[in-house]
Amino acid sequence: MARTDFIEQLRRRLLELGCPMVQVRRLVQEVADHHEDLKQAALSEGLSEADAEARANVQLGDPLALAEHLMAALRRSSWWGRHFLIGFCVLPLLAVPVLWALLLFLGLSLEFALGYSWDWKKLHVAADNPVAFHHLAMAVHGADYVAIGLATLLFCWLARRSAVSVTWMATACAICSLYALFGQAIIKPHSFAVGVSWTPHWIEAAIPLLIAGAIYVFHRRTKQRFQEQVAV
Amino acid sequence: MKKTNPSFLNGVPELLVLRLLSRREMYGYQIVEEIRTQTGKALSFGEGCIYPYLHYLEAEKQVSSQRREVEGRNRNYYKLTARGRKRLEELTSEWKRVTTGVSLLMGVQHG
Repeated sequence: MARTDFIEQLRRRLLELGCPMVQVRRLVQEVADHHEDLKQAALSEGLSEADAEARANVQLGDPLALAEHLMAALRRSSWWGRHFLIGFCVLPLLAVPVLWALLLFLGLSLEFALGYSWDWKKLHVAADNPVAFHHLAMAVHGADYVAIGLATLLFCWLARRSAVSVTWMATACAICSLYALFGQAIIKPHSFAVGVSWTPHWIEAAIPLLIAGAIYVFHRRTKQRFQEQVAV
Repeated sequence: MKKTNPSFLNGVPELLVLRLLSRREMYGYQIVEEIRTQTGKALSFGEGCIYPYLHYLEAEKQVSSQRREVEGRNRNYYKLTARGRKRLEELTSEWKRVTTGVSLLMGVQHG
């Protein structure tokens, strides 16, 4: 096998295994350098060009197996890659409510910073005003939508960055979607509650699935473009 | 592809890489060769498998890398950072503690 074939097979396999593009470029470049070093060492021992290349190939081994080793090492090198069950199954359940609470807190802090000091008394006054109450309800539900979207984006990004398989990215998105389907924040004049509702919220549940789908399509296209560039 | 080091050597590659880089900056092939020769071929990295380790150490800011041309060849040179030096000290003292303990036990059993 020629060096270019070896490198090309390695690149293709890394992409198939879901290796981030930045990592593919870097790993392939470094393995190509390594291959050249092995070849030069063989040449310095008096081997012919073809034999030196063949020995470098043997030393580096099967490019497909090498890609698997590189990916395994890449996954092991991050916390998310080592603890994917906790990272992509348990943490999404916690991330959505935490982000939602954080967004609400940030919203209220911003109001406070802008000089609109607030307290419970003012909230009760606002609850009696239909327009003010509508704005308050919009803020609570808006934070819910944004939190679901942000959590999905966060877990998709973490899945790509840690090079775990697409299955784990999809699992995290499905869990965010399930949470959105049944989790709810109820705001009524003078009362507020957070809990589980058996009335499904289809629009909120669709957000993580749409985001995951868009990211998947985007990555497939980027991967195709990258392979075309390399082929050229 | 050679990948035969036993599992109880977890953490040893990190120690070896940091130790080698504490002496001078090196590129991947050099590190693999140095480990092989300096350990009398007792330990070896699979060719090419050193890179994810190096990238991990770089992400942890224990080493830094720079691509540059030396003698007509472009290569990624890795060097130890201050954080890497500190980590090396920790790993070295841990290694000494473990080997002393294991040696004592082995000595008792063989003696």
